[in-house]
Amino acid sequence: MTRILLNSRLDDCLGAWRSAGFTVLAPVKRSDLTRFDEVQGASEMSLDIVMPERTIKEHFFLQTEPLIRYEIKKQQIETEEMVPPERKRIFFGVRPCDAAGLDIDDPLFGWDYKDDYWFRRREKSVIVTIACTSADDFCMCTSVGLAPDSPKGSDVMLHPLLDGRGWLVVPHTDRGKALLEPVSSILLEEAAEPAPVPAVPVKFDVNNVMAWLAEPANFESQLWKEVSQRCIGCGSCTYLCPTCHCFDIQDEGDTYSGIRRKNWDSCSFAMFTMHTSGHNPRNTQSTRWRQRIMHKFNYYRGKFGVNSCSGCGRCTRQCPVDMGITETLHEISNLPR
Amino acid sequence: MGIQEQYRKEAAELLSSGEVKLVIGYGEGSTAERRRPVFVRSAEYVSRLVLDGSCVANLSSYLVPEGLLSDGKKVAVFLKPDGIRSINILAAESQLDPEQVVILGFDIEGGQAAPLPGRKASDFTALIGSLKSAGLSPELQKDADRLEQMSASERFGYWKEQFSKCIKCYACRQVCPMCYCRRCIVDVNQPQWINTSSHTLGNFEWNIIRAFHLAGRCVSCGGCDRSCPVNIPLRLINHRMAKEALDTFGHYAGESAEQQPVLATFRQEDPETFIL
Repeated sequence: MTRILLNSRLDDCLGAWRSAGFTVLAPVKRSDLTRFDEVQGASEMSLDIVMPERTIKEHFFLQTEPLIRYEIKKQQIETEEMVPPERKRIFFGVRPCDAAGLDIDDPLFGWDYKDDYWFRRREKSVIVTIACTSADDFCMCTSVGLAPDSPKGSDVMLHPLLDGRGWLVVPHTDRGKALLEPVSSILLEEAAEPAPVPAVPVKFDVNNVMAWLAEPANFESQLWKEVSQRCIGCGSCTYLCPTCHCFDIQDEGDTYSGIRRKNWDSCSFAMFTMHTSGHNPRNTQSTRWRQRIMHKFNYYRGKFGVNSCSGCGRCTRQCPVDMGITETLHEISNLPR
Repeated sequence: MGIQEQYRKEAAELLSSGEVKLVIGYGEGSTAERRRPVFVRSAEYVSRLVLDGSCVANLSSYLVPEGLLSDGKKVAVFLKPDGIRSINILAAESQLDPEQVVILGFDIEGGQAAPLPGRKASDFTALIGSLKSAGLSPELQKDADRLEQMSASERFGYWKEQFSKCIKCYACRQVCPMCYCRRCIVDVNQPQWINTSSHTLGNFEWNIIRAFHLAGRCVSCGGCDRSCPVNIPLRLINHRMAKEALDTFGHYAGESAEQQPVLATFRQEDPETFIL
């Protein structure tokens, strides 16, 4: 027997979770932008979209995160650590690619130094994913070994029912099982058939890509220049990416006091990795684009055993000049060998 | 012969005669509706060029990166009237020599691309003059009027909400032909003029300073607006500044390569309504 959550009971379910002390965040469309934001009820949610324009990453790795407040006095420097609030949060209606993105980034934020800002938020958050029933031209999860219903990174996965009455509820972690306890009386126990997941075509052979990238001679390949010629060097692809995680530490204030912040940074920017001497090891857009691809499909795998891409396709979907990872990897994967 | 065939032929002639070293135009994109910038360096590849009603981007921004025009050779570029105005401004601001830019001019009428006669920016002066007489886009003005009717605090609230969406990806800057600074003021850190953080204050600082820098220079190509991944209606800010420049100083950005920058020049008859 499987467990079912009916559409008509979603508000009761959210209510029970909120009574249990959770804040619920879901995709909300506001001011012409869909992103995860706090909701009180189901009517505020935008669930029938392919995916929100912005990812849930920004609720774990903030676009600007205050780290410490400092004050420089005559004899000493006073600092005060600014720790994130420990709210219990439910992310409801996450897409599998965005959930996987969190899972992909966990080792990065924990390998040499455990980033409290990331993990405090991670530990108090439950990810409730809804398997996809639609995809668009830019979706490419199947090209990176995932699928429209991959449970990677999900605590609970909801599979939309074929008859449209609600969702099949499948917990995947202990945290997910615990989340279902306060709502057990709201869920039905009956057999039901989930709606089919969309067919997302495979757009490149990721193994071919990884083999090509691993070949040192290809580091200087002409391909990098060709594929990145129209890149304008904005950070849109990196900032909308569910796995891009580069940041820059900035002090904001005057000579005597201020706040040290951790801000998003992007390998697309000309200033990225610029040395104080003025030298920049990646002084052209093509070398910066190469860095992005190499980081995701070579260096990251070498270090953490996984590619740093979950196939959401936002890098192409929202690129001002119609570039993106998909096309570059397609070209690499189809090179004669 | 359709406009696409005609312009492909012209591009091929320009390349094979050696008149230009490069043609910057539009090509097929990753979906049926999308067009993307393409760079053609040899006549054998002109079939990659596409010209139709979907070719809306202002490609003049690809002319300004350092080094492209420094060899003195010419480059051909597909431009709508807004892009041609951009060339005039870039020339007036000494960013390029308009003699090096061969214009493959077109406009979009009723969803179709239509050719515009002329090769050099100066050939289009009469056309730009007639656009100036026609005034700023009435469609934009309608949206702008909605904002004008708000009280100052409502309008502030509107922009606060819009700017709170900003992620400082700088797509607006990167796509803009007027944002050619080698080092943008937001990237200057000694001293740090502007907060780099993308909190609402930092976002305000960035977007307002960009609007100021574009006053009297923006040609309303809409590139920033289309590029914004978080859908901030940047066209409305720039339109407001363009309207101010036109109403107050009769300045229509990019009329000619000789046009003086409106905020860097003074005429005795300039109104001084805000100076006591």
